[in-house]
Amino acid sequence: MVTKNSHLSLKTITLCAMEPRKTGKIDHLETKNPGILQKLMAMGILPGMPITLLRKSPSYLFEVDQTRYAVDREIANHIYVSC
Amino acid sequence: MKLPVTCPEKECCCGKTRCTLGKGLPKIILIGNPNVGKSSLFNALSGSYTLVSNYPGTSVEITHGKSRIGEREYEIIDTPGMYSLLPVSEEERVSQLLLFEEKASVYLHVVDARNLRRMLSFTLQLLEAELPLILVLNMMDEAEERGIEINIPELSHYLGIPVVGTVSSEGKGIEELKTAISEFTLENNAQKFRQKIDYGSEIEPYIEAVEGLLDPSEEAEIPTGISRRAISLLMLQEDRTAFEYLHRVEKTPGYWDENHEKNSEEIRKLVKAASKISEVHLSYLFTLKRQKHVNGIVEQVMEIPERSKNKSSGKNGKIRAEDDTGKKGSKTQNSNLDFSEKIDSILIHPVLGIPALFLILYFGLYLFVGVFAAGTVVDYLENTIFGGYINPFVTAKFMSLVPYPALQDLFVGEYGIFTQAVTYAIALILPIVGAFFLVFSIIEDTGYLPRLGLLLDSVFKKIGLSGRAVIPMVLGFGCSTMATMVTRTLETKRERLIANILLALAIPCSAQLGIILSILSGNPESLLIWFIVILLEFVLIGFLASRVLPGEAPTFILEMPPLRKPKISNILVKTYSRMHWYFLEVLPLFVLASVLIWIGKLTGLFALALKIIEYPTVWIGLPPDAADVFLFGFFRRDFGAAGLYGMHDSGLLTGVQLVVAAITLTLFMPCIAQFMMTIKERGFKTALAISGFIFPFAFFTGFIVNTILKALGVSL
Ligand SMILES: Nc1nc2c(ncn2[C@@H]2O[C@H](COP(=O)(O)OP(=O)(O)OP(=O)(O)O)[C@@H](O)[C@H]2O)c(=O)[nH]1
Ligand SMILES: [Mg+2]
Repeated sequence: MVTKNSHLSLKTITLCAMEPRKTGKIDHLETKNPGILQKLMAMGILPGMPITLLRKSPSYLFEVDQTRYAVDREIANHIYVSC
Repeated sequence: MKLPVTCPEKECCCGKTRCTLGKGLPKIILIGNPNVGKSSLFNALSGSYTLVSNYPGTSVEITHGKSRIGEREYEIIDTPGMYSLLPVSEEERVSQLLLFEEKASVYLHVVDARNLRRMLSFTLQLLEAELPLILVLNMMDEAEERGIEINIPELSHYLGIPVVGTVSSEGKGIEELKTAISEFTLENNAQKFRQKIDYGSEIEPYIEAVEGLLDPSEEAEIPTGISRRAISLLMLQEDRTAFEYLHRVEKTPGYWDENHEKNSEEIRKLVKAASKISEVHLSYLFTLKRQKHVNGIVEQVMEIPERSKNKSSGKNGKIRAEDDTGKKGSKTQNSNLDFSEKIDSILIHPVLGIPALFLILYFGLYLFVGVFAAGTVVDYLENTIFGGYINPFVTAKFMSLVPYPALQDLFVGEYGIFTQAVTYAIALILPIVGAFFLVFSIIEDTGYLPRLGLLLDSVFKKIGLSGRAVIPMVLGFGCSTMATMVTRTLETKRERLIANILLALAIPCSAQLGIILSILSGNPESLLIWFIVILLEFVLIGFLASRVLPGEAPTFILEMPPLRKPKISNILVKTYSRMHWYFLEVLPLFVLASVLIWIGKLTGLFALALKIIEYPTVWIGLPPDAADVFLFGFFRRDFGAAGLYGMHDSGLLTGVQLVVAAITLTLFMPCIAQFMMTIKERGFKTALAISGFIFPFAFFTGFIVNTILKALGVSL
């Protein structure tokens, strides 16, 4: 249930490692902090959703479904994307 | 046009045994994610006004209003936005607690139609909680603009509850919603929702076991509107509020049972066991299960054209050319979207964003508030209207009517209620605050503030804050008291404390800022020195606080609402309501200060207080006369600044002295109201510690600046 996309041909990287303006699918979220996990999920950043990274500086800005989110590097490192 | 208070049976308290007829109006509670338009809807339904702005976290407390719907009068309750029934930040907790404690006859779950997929999960949670629910699809205009289609009857059928589409900022769909509310009765909606979400055979037994332990006996059921299943789910996710709530009701006589202690211990054991058997965090598991359900529904009822679907879903991940595949979106609508997209990319550009910010500050703050309102308008009001006509007239009239010198002094003396308090409040503070709030409302409504948060996040991290804290900090330039309350939206206690200290110390509020801009703008170098010292102070104290205070470094997650065109009506009402609030807040305190000073003068205490404050005043290089300014400053910093304005007018201070006084005063505690708010949000001890640090530190900084400027032989 945690990992939705297990195609071997796809590589899984964190949002930080992604190129701006590229689209992928959220693979899973990984963090020790339950508060952050809970917040990301409640905000709609969920495994299986397509995600587009819009910019990396001054902070990370990305789009999931119809909404944009701004996060810092720390959070971006918790989001694993397969593309 | 007050209607009789009626509370028909089975409606106000959902027919529970404790229902007393006619006790209160039936309630309607608005719930939903942040920034979806709950407050707009509240305003449209109730006719009263609560703040509406384009960023998540505008409302941080509960607002009550009244509305007549059909033949009945209702109490309408607006809540701070929350992402799910399980809260993370403080303002979400405020809403969650309300859901535990209140029982309404109708709950309106407000969602942003475009983001139905993301928000429907919360609807399912509310249905799980068995609340009498109507789903409101707000912002239908924006969904339409992007060519999104939603089959409302079908959605209503799937969920088993009424669904209404609205554009609450324009009042569209409100009548339909009112009809739905008045037709809403528990009978025909008696839990049609039977699509219980199955969380899996592993975890279901635990959910049911906890559920069973919540009510120790038939008569002693938990007195809340939320279903046992929902409470059980919250407990399994170790939600603080749910446990605290249980703890509290355990102590109420009606609930008490000899088994209760054993029960709550049993619950804790179950929670531990459940979290062990699941390999992932339970909130993760629950959310994914719910979302699967949501996806099933959304696929049936919602259609999103390719273009707005994440821009591109091509396998290679390249952004597709701007092709117009939007079914309904006409050319002009799409070019509107493209235009706002362009502006957006400038505002948050790491390089171009900075000049954009300075342009906004220069035109909005410096030219409009500083030069026009605080300069031209205040000058005219203060010197021509009040100084030239009103004050001489009132003074002369008063002198001839009331021949007692003591009373004359109280009303029209040097520090008199009329000549000082009222004049300052109307001629000085009001125009400045009004102009500021006007500019401010425009900025808020465009959605610029979250973008500023994005732009400044990495800088704010250095002072122990995340980009989210940009919003309360900027609000602090309007009014520190309001901003102190908004620190609730920050995630950690540490961040809230740092933000609070900085607000109290280094963020001047609009009235004070306006006066200081107008006093110092005659001499740009003075203004620059003032600006640099305050900025350094802000950074230094933030940096030190982030080093000293224990706790984790902050993280930054913020939803970015689209840029929106501000609505003139909202800007005007918002500016008016803030001015109104501010004026009512300021005038009594100014009058009180006048009265206290008058009493002080009669009893000789005033002279004594002045004598004491003269020491630090002289110490930072100011003439002893300037002690009044600081004495006023204890009441409110802007009152002190107004006093400074008076001294500056009569040419009593040199350039250096003016800068030193302005700096010291800026660093003072903002006002009594802000102090009270700090007590409320942070506790008495912390509030006292903050002010115990600030006053000496303000004088200390004044001293240092004076010493340095003297040593360098600067003359301004
Ligand atoms: N286009 C459009 N904008 C809307 C609509 N309803 C509200 N807005 C705008 O959306 C923004 C947020 O509205 P609010 O009413 O403050 O939202 P809220 O849900 O109370 O937000 P929080 O208090 O932060 O939880 C404001 O800029 C409104 O003008 C709508 O139906 N259509
Ligand atoms: Mg609101």
